Amino acid sequence: MPVEHVLPIGPLQLLAATALVLVAGAVSVGLRLGLERKLAVAALRTVLQLLMVGYILSWVFGIDSALVLVGLLLVMIALASRAAVQRASRTFRGATARAFLTLALTGTVCTFTVTEVVIGIEPWYRPQYVIPLLGMVLGNSLTGISLCLDHALEVFSDQRDRVEMDLALGATRWEAAREPIAEAVRRGMIPILNTMTVVGIVSLPGMMTGQILQGADPIDAVEYQIVVMFMLSAATSLGSILMALLVYRRLFNERHQLLRDRIEARATSA
Amino acid sequence: MSLLTVRGLSVAAGGVDLLRGFDATLGEGELVALVGASGSGKTTMLRTLARLVDPPEGEVLLRGRTAEQWGFPTYRRRVSFLAQRPMVLDQTVLANLSRPFRLRAAGASFPEARALALMKRLRLSGIAADRNARSLSEGERQRVCLVRTLLVEPDVLLLDEPTSALDAGVVEIVETVLREQVRAGRGAIVVTHDVVQAARLCDRVIELEPFLPVSEGSRRAG
Repeated sequence: MPVEHVLPIGPLQLLAATALVLVAGAVSVGLRLGLERKLAVAALRTVLQLLMVGYILSWVFGIDSALVLVGLLLVMIALASRAAVQRASRTFRGATARAFLTLALTGTVCTFTVTEVVIGIEPWYRPQYVIPLLGMVLGNSLTGISLCLDHALEVFSDQRDRVEMDLALGATRWEAAREPIAEAVRRGMIPILNTMTVVGIVSLPGMMTGQILQGADPIDAVEYQIVVMFMLSAATSLGSILMALLVYRRLFNERHQLLRDRIEARATSA
Repeated sequence: MSLLTVRGLSVAAGGVDLLRGFDATLGEGELVALVGASGSGKTTMLRTLARLVDPPEGEVLLRGRTAEQWGFPTYRRRVSFLAQRPMVLDQTVLANLSRPFRLRAAGASFPEARALALMKRLRLSGIAADRNARSLSEGERQRVCLVRTLLVEPDVLLLDEPTSALDAGVVEIVETVLREQVRAGRGAIVVTHDVVQAARLCDRVIELEPFLPVSEGSRRAG
């Protein structure tokens, strides 16, 4: 198949795309849905956020420095950790630090396994590969981690009787926590498993679509997408498992007691 | 030697002391009632004795050894706490009863014949062992949980309102079973709000009064 190059988009083309949003806004006004203001704000945010990230990426790609890349990765991981913890309806002291540790470990291991072993980029810190891939990993992992965290804290908070029933019958802390922990990990993995089940059938993934729009061979794009899906599933699974284990270590002590007092309700849930 | 020795125990919930300086002993074959007003710390006392929570002060000894020395799972196997709200899992009655025997601390395999005999004794023989335990009434669940605890054969039973959901006729049967358990050498501490039951069932009555010295009355079961 002949390879085409990406067709550039200019200001006029962007205006044409804006017309689509304006039509949606006009429909909202016509039907008195009251959504036009929210739509306008969302559209404006989309433009500003994407332009901002575009300029930052252009700057980072231009600098070509390992130190700058590592700094940027740490910022991405920190923001993702905060988002993961804020999405859960309960929390505990040190939750964000544990989410950071989880995302830093599983995110970098999975991302660099792909960039170094599968793709084999040179040098290792080429930001145009590392940043988008880590971004995808973090986006999926933080969803998994927050679902996992939410379920684990819900069980250990609301179902103390169930856990203490096992402890009272002579269970070790792990025996008492194992089933809730396993369920929390399962919850964390549901979104990525659902995505993997329907990928290519219900929707084409964004990265693959982007590559095809850029003129890549669909088979090449599919191969990349398979790698990405495997990377995302590994990162989400390992992230959920590690986060669940860290929650377990925080909420049970060596005297095989459940420390429910450590769980705090969040004032508002995202 | 006494089964359970409690020395200078404080009991706290949510960081607030409910009771201080509690001393008591429980001997083999002894059945003690724990009574007191709501919020006086009866349930928290049982959870503390089972070492599901740490006491701010004091110690609890089983046959002269602390839970740390026994190892916590082993200790709780021997000092077994049964909560007032009967906790059964979304499984068959038999699976609920055999659960303690699937734990690492279990020294024996599930004694199914004994379980069925105890169920019959507590008027649960009409319930199929493969029925889901969540479909049982509150009173039936309470008795299934009691059977599960008795099967473990602990040295000390810590029972929180074990007859609160039962009809009068079944209460009598449960009380008879508990007396048989202590006659076999176990000790039992029963939390109850029913002072008549406490007097009828137990050898001694301990009344908890928060922040005051604990008063201990003594009477033999008739």
